[in-house]
Amino acid sequence: MSQVEIINAVKKYGELAALDHVSMTFKDGEFFGLLGPSGSGKTTMLRAIAGFVLLDEGEVRVDGKDIGATPVYQRNIGMVFQNYALFPHMSVAENVAFGLDVRRIPAAEQRKRVADALAMVRLVGFEQRKPKQLSGGQQQRVALARALVTRPRVLLLDEPLGALDKHLRQEMQIELKRIQRDVGITTVFVTHDQEEALTLSDRIAIFNAGRIIQAGSPGEVYARPINRFAAGFLGEANFLGGKVGGVTNGWAQVALDGGAIASVEGQGLQIGQQALLAVRPERMAIHAGSATAPGSNRLAGTVGEVIFSGNSTSYRIHCGPQIISVFRQNDGQPILASGTAVSLTWEPDDAVLVAE
Amino acid sequence: MANAHERRAILSLTAPAYLWLTVTIFLPLAAMLYCSFLDKSPLVPAPAMATLANYVAFFTRPVYRQLTWWSLELGLYVTFFSLLVGYPVAFALAKQIKGRWREALFLMVILPFWSNALVRIFSWTMVLRNGGLIDQAIHWVSPDAAPIDLLYSYPAVVIGLVHSYLPYMILTCYISLQAIDDSVVEAAASLGARSATIFSRVIFPMSLPGVIAGSALIFVPVIGSFMEPRILGGTKGVTLGMSIEEQFMVTANWPLGAALSFMMLAIVLLICAVGYPLVQRRMDGLK
Amino acid sequence: MSAEKTMRSGGLKLGPVVLRLHLVLVLLFLYVPIIVMAALSFNRSQLYELPFTFDLVWYQSLAGDSRLIDAGINSVVIALVNTVVATVLGTMAALAFARYQFRGKSLLQLLLFPPITIPWLVIGTAMLVFFFWTGIGRGLHAILLGHVALSLPYVIVVVGARLANFPRQMEEAAATLGATPWQTFWRVTAPILAPGVVAAALFAFAVSFDQFVISYFLAPPGVTTLPVAIYAAIRKGFTPEINAISTIIILVSMGIMLITARFYRFGGER
Repeated sequence: MSQVEIINAVKKYGELAALDHVSMTFKDGEFFGLLGPSGSGKTTMLRAIAGFVLLDEGEVRVDGKDIGATPVYQRNIGMVFQNYALFPHMSVAENVAFGLDVRRIPAAEQRKRVADALAMVRLVGFEQRKPKQLSGGQQQRVALARALVTRPRVLLLDEPLGALDKHLRQEMQIELKRIQRDVGITTVFVTHDQEEALTLSDRIAIFNAGRIIQAGSPGEVYARPINRFAAGFLGEANFLGGKVGGVTNGWAQVALDGGAIASVEGQGLQIGQQALLAVRPERMAIHAGSATAPGSNRLAGTVGEVIFSGNSTSYRIHCGPQIISVFRQNDGQPILASGTAVSLTWEPDDAVLVAE
Repeated sequence: MANAHERRAILSLTAPAYLWLTVTIFLPLAAMLYCSFLDKSPLVPAPAMATLANYVAFFTRPVYRQLTWWSLELGLYVTFFSLLVGYPVAFALAKQIKGRWREALFLMVILPFWSNALVRIFSWTMVLRNGGLIDQAIHWVSPDAAPIDLLYSYPAVVIGLVHSYLPYMILTCYISLQAIDDSVVEAAASLGARSATIFSRVIFPMSLPGVIAGSALIFVPVIGSFMEPRILGGTKGVTLGMSIEEQFMVTANWPLGAALSFMMLAIVLLICAVGYPLVQRRMDGLK
Repeated sequence: MSAEKTMRSGGLKLGPVVLRLHLVLVLLFLYVPIIVMAALSFNRSQLYELPFTFDLVWYQSLAGDSRLIDAGINSVVIALVNTVVATVLGTMAALAFARYQFRGKSLLQLLLFPPITIPWLVIGTAMLVFFFWTGIGRGLHAILLGHVALSLPYVIVVVGARLANFPRQMEEAAATLGATPWQTFWRVTAPILAPGVVAAALFAFAVSFDQFVISYFLAPPGVTTLPVAIYAAIRKGFTPEINAISTIIILVSMGIMLITARFYRFGGER
């Protein structure tokens, strides 16, 4: 249960910078998600903590100590790989005991700790099975037990739920969170699935092209994305561009391309400056007809596609040249048909100023 | 790409094997190439001079043209019969027999292939010769029939070689046929094709890579064979391989033997050069 | 299914029954000569006459034929040494191919083709010439050199196939669990590789034990391997001992192949 720091990490492969001066602190006991598209550097960072990647510049510190020179097998980390990497020639019990065995822990204690680990992942009774007799979810739990039984300082997970189907994934998300909380171990995981990142993490870092774009709690990062990439990668966003008309009391009036006016909280904005606003689809209220609707910030448009998803409906609204996404829970209001004239409104608080 | 530390590892891992291959295969081939341009055998103490005479002999002396043709002819016969006999076996195994029977039968077909080729050829002499199995069987049926001696004949050589190399064809055709998805056949049937059409226009073309690969694997060794023709053919069924063997073991005319060897190699390479793109195009079409 | 019915109905003349019959006939074709030869080796008669009287006389006289016995020992010894050398060298090379990407890798892999595609006649005569010039000469050592060269591509391919299915992540997982590289190799890599390596070794043994052409050119008078000795015996004239020794060889080769198949299948986790 340790604190892990990455300080100014740089890793280049030829011309490509996989990590471009990245720094982050993973607090003791926190469940931290590294999110980003393929090749963004998140896996490189994970492997740098593990020791498979040696940084060109920068440090990896655990509890303040630089472990850059420590080989993988001495770092006392636990890692669960994307395809679990269970040893096929060993039974479940032998797999889990492996880390204890190479440390020459006496057999009696091995047995006890293996039993405890299997109980924690709810696989009691599976000791003698071979990996190929297990389902994907069971294999993953064995991999988790194997990584945790050695009581490592850090737990690393590489796309932990990627290989599971939807139902199993939801189940495992809950399991994983529970186990992590019970054990209290600092956990860093990598994923390209933003839903997974939101569900599991205490904090998230969004990666792109070797840099951390934004880091913070899921709520913070979701509600207040820093730039277009962060807004678009974590969830969906509607982007409204325009020129700043006036600034009053820290609030700016932005003349959107297309004519409407939007207010947004924006300290330090100059009149005449270009601004980009992001509004989440679920924050937009949709009203049939072009009648006046409550709230300032307003757009008019026509319903394009309607996507019904059981408990919710998504609309694609054509507002001039732009297509705005709106998400609405099916709470009894009638579902609007394609071609209906509508107006969209949102609270000024829900518009966020984002960098390009 | 690899860094310095890795380069050392790669070198130390691959060097021994490839050094061995260099000394035993690549350098000897180069040496024999050089030898083929000499006018005297290396066994003779007098210094030798460069000449094209050996290669010229191959192209001008009718005996070598004849031998080459006979070798190619033998290759064609053996390949053809291997295909004729082997393809249906591969088809049956790949498409019709399932489960444990398939594995067991496949193993039974492949097994003789991995035993000693010389001994298998020899076993045919027991069957074909005067007093051998076939002769005895015929006499058992009709005691007055004349004795049959199939040994030391061209058909005997063909039979023996087909026996030796048949499993190659079965193996390659089997792999090719097995890769054909059943759903493709079903799709053809649903489009109204009858089985003969399905076979000729869908299955056989898709299995062509296996046929071509098997043919190459058979044709190449057969045209270079000398042991089988000698044991089963005696003076009939003479091949270029036998002539090469004579140059080295009997007449000690190594340069000539070397030249003939390389001409044979050239023929093999020609076949590969023609066959490889054929297979590639087919395989790309299948992907 | 509709496709099968189409197969069995009018259209195609070759029904499944005919094909199965053909399969049986082919199996007969493949095995009858061998069985006949084996049967005759146990027959007391000097020629191939019936009636059949079971007798081990030819095997006994075989035991006294020192030339064939010596040749047999040579074959086995060469095959064993060949197996060790080819397996070690080939496994190392296969490891390099599986673990690393490097310039020239495709070239090296391409170079594995000549030993298997070039007719053995050409390789054998080339070795004869080169060994003569370099003073290596003929003999058991030369034969060994040749056999290893022929076995190497097979070993590399067989072990390579096994390695291709071996995810690197297992070794990484072992490292994260605290195993030193040495421990990782012994506890994880080697046990998983073992069946593939054993299969390759058995392959190499069979290739060497059955090899005729290369041995033929590289064997000096008086020292030979078993196949070459048998060939000389056949050329001299038929004696029933040849049946006996041939039967032994066939059983050994087939036995090895059966064991290899078993190993490759059960280790291969298909």
